[in-house]
Amino acid sequence: MVNRIDRAFAQHSLPQQPSPRRRGLMLAAGAGLAAPLVARAQGADEIVIGGSIPMTGVFAFAGIGINAAFIDYVKRINDAGGIAGRKVRYVPEDTGYKVDVSVAAFKKITSQNKVNFYYGDSTGFSKTINSELNRNGNILMAGASFASEINDPANFPNQFLVGPDYTEMVGILLAHIAKEKPGAKVAFVYSDTEFGRDPIEKSEAAAKKLGLSVPVKIMTPPGSVDVSTEVIKLRRAAPDYTIFHGYVLAPIPEFIQQGKQMGMTSKWMGTFWTMDSSTVMKMGEAGDGFMGVMPYRYYYDTEKSATLEQIRAARPEYQTTPYLQGYLTAMLFCEVAKRTLAAGQELTGKNMKAALNGLKGFDTGGLIGVPISIPGNSIPVGRVYRADMKAQKMVAASDWISL
Amino acid sequence: MRIGTLKESYVADAALFDSVTQKVWLAIGCALLVGFPFVANDYALYLACLVGINIASATGLNLLTGYTGLVSLGQAAFMGLGAYTVAILQIRYGTPPLLNLLAGGFVAMLGGLLVGIPSLRVKGLYLAIATIAASFILHFLFANLTLTGGTGGLSMSPARIFGFTLDASFRLYWLIVPVMLLMLLGAANLFRTRIGRAFIAIRDRDISAEVLGIPLLRYKLLSFGLSSFYAGVAGGLWAYLFRVVTPESFPLQMSIFFLAAIIVGGMGSILGGILGAVFMTMVPEVLKWIFDLLPGGPSLTVFLSPVRLIVFGLLIVGFLVFEPLGLAEVWRRIRRFFHLWPFRN
Repeated sequence: MVNRIDRAFAQHSLPQQPSPRRRGLMLAAGAGLAAPLVARAQGADEIVIGGSIPMTGVFAFAGIGINAAFIDYVKRINDAGGIAGRKVRYVPEDTGYKVDVSVAAFKKITSQNKVNFYYGDSTGFSKTINSELNRNGNILMAGASFASEINDPANFPNQFLVGPDYTEMVGILLAHIAKEKPGAKVAFVYSDTEFGRDPIEKSEAAAKKLGLSVPVKIMTPPGSVDVSTEVIKLRRAAPDYTIFHGYVLAPIPEFIQQGKQMGMTSKWMGTFWTMDSSTVMKMGEAGDGFMGVMPYRYYYDTEKSATLEQIRAARPEYQTTPYLQGYLTAMLFCEVAKRTLAAGQELTGKNMKAALNGLKGFDTGGLIGVPISIPGNSIPVGRVYRADMKAQKMVAASDWISL
Repeated sequence: MRIGTLKESYVADAALFDSVTQKVWLAIGCALLVGFPFVANDYALYLACLVGINIASATGLNLLTGYTGLVSLGQAAFMGLGAYTVAILQIRYGTPPLLNLLAGGFVAMLGGLLVGIPSLRVKGLYLAIATIAASFILHFLFANLTLTGGTGGLSMSPARIFGFTLDASFRLYWLIVPVMLLMLLGAANLFRTRIGRAFIAIRDRDISAEVLGIPLLRYKLLSFGLSSFYAGVAGGLWAYLFRVVTPESFPLQMSIFFLAAIIVGGMGSILGGILGAVFMTMVPEVLKWIFDLLPGGPSLTVFLSPVRLIVFGLLIVGFLVFEPLGLAEVWRRIRRFFHLWPFRN
């Protein structure tokens, strides 16, 4: 016992001199701790795109595609000589889809680089960083969020959405429904989150304006839950169309499967984050005929698209819809920089936003099937696609719809 | 055992800082904290603010879990109560930030007292589940009350103190760090009083504590109240740092983060709460810097990010296995080494 105490005392009180290896580790740790204070060299005329990208965490499925898209597009632009002779540099940081980490990434990237464009990973981040963007005045930001709240140029002057906002997405679906079946009954099933609730109130009013009725609105917790009572409620309302919003996948398959078993004839629809081909295909047989709004063409679309051909040439394997969203974001960032510099203006947030809003009939190389304009903070264009489980593909179910 | 620290009175024995060396280090520490904002960039200052908030909240949880032995997974929800209170007062009434922070602390304290009621009947994992239930109830209220702005939450203007708008990390630092230091001082002093010692007695054996004349309900509730007060003030500071408060700002994972912080840092030690909060906040960032030194650029980031998380996880597991008493014990060992330095074999 005494020996043990002596040994413990000797270990704890009189440590040995650090070994060379331990000293090396201490030096490495010191270098790591000191690194934040060291700014990196940056070419004076570089155009920098920063990004809070969720490469881990619940949103990694999207972040990985978005990151790859930025790398590809920036490489493409730099290989072609850059923008007005200036190279573009992409600086990402992983955020794990946490707002405080995203803000830290923003601060880190902007402290080390003169950032011109930024990609944010969430609605929470877009809202949190907005005042910082306004104070900075030199950054134009887009991101993974399609929140209707951000589609407000007065309050979010240095941000834009790379597609329709969530209310516009549902609006595109409603426009399609009104054309396909006038007077139809439409049900909304949405998650009890900011994301889920976003378009519901305005979309109900929009549906009524289009002569459609909304017999039921069902709110569920996000993620996988038992939805049997909600399905019974939905069946009682007997909608012609059911629009899901605020989910990625679960509990949509459960709703469809149980609904079909109960003899429901509703058509099932979703919005952007549900609509990646690989996500819909996970629904199995239940997902056959599942429809939804997509602001971009799918990777495998056969319609003529120079941009998709370039993507397919660079990456022969399937690329997700977040990849396409990231690619379009990078394209718009570079186009805005090009136009701002061509006009002889400085790359300030205000000038770049004006250049963005000046895009009239911009050709995305077929990534979006129609030329686009961005008069405000969103691109209110989309198309309805339908799942073809036999072909394991999403096929166009409507023409491009502009609101 | 340190030599040369002769104590001639009970006051000297109970002093927080009992040696000249400690007082010198304290002065150096304070000077560093004052000088830091003038040399640090915005990123480092933001992290300092975040660390300050996390230290305040982790210390609160340490009072409850580390000192009183009551496990809680509701710390994030209490922070939410404080954050919403501050945001509502700031938006609706424009009251001064320090008053708002106090109000945030008191509202969270009331919440804590309510949630603490079952603590007389249940403890351990059962109490943890009860606190989780409370945090779900609070989350539901945040998401559904008009007052809290529903799921969209509340966006607020920056705080103003003495004509200064606290809209940048540099300025917020001067609010967050002093408040955090005051809270630390309060917590450290608490354990020089009957209340603090009663908490420790309850943790060590609640039945014996009651036999010794410590009213369990009163002191357990007091511990919950104090812990929630700390969480509420930390939540208020959080609201001033981010200026957007939504129901999703304070998830259950955040409570687990604070529990992990005090376990890694050392439960039942003020220093443990500090070191744990610093470790949990800073190590992922430091790992990012170390991984950034590797060549490869953005293409490699996507592969290295999960590896970074694994390394972080392994570090936590490593600490638990090799130093179950936490970082505070490592610190104590380092101090013991220097007590005799350079006069040692």
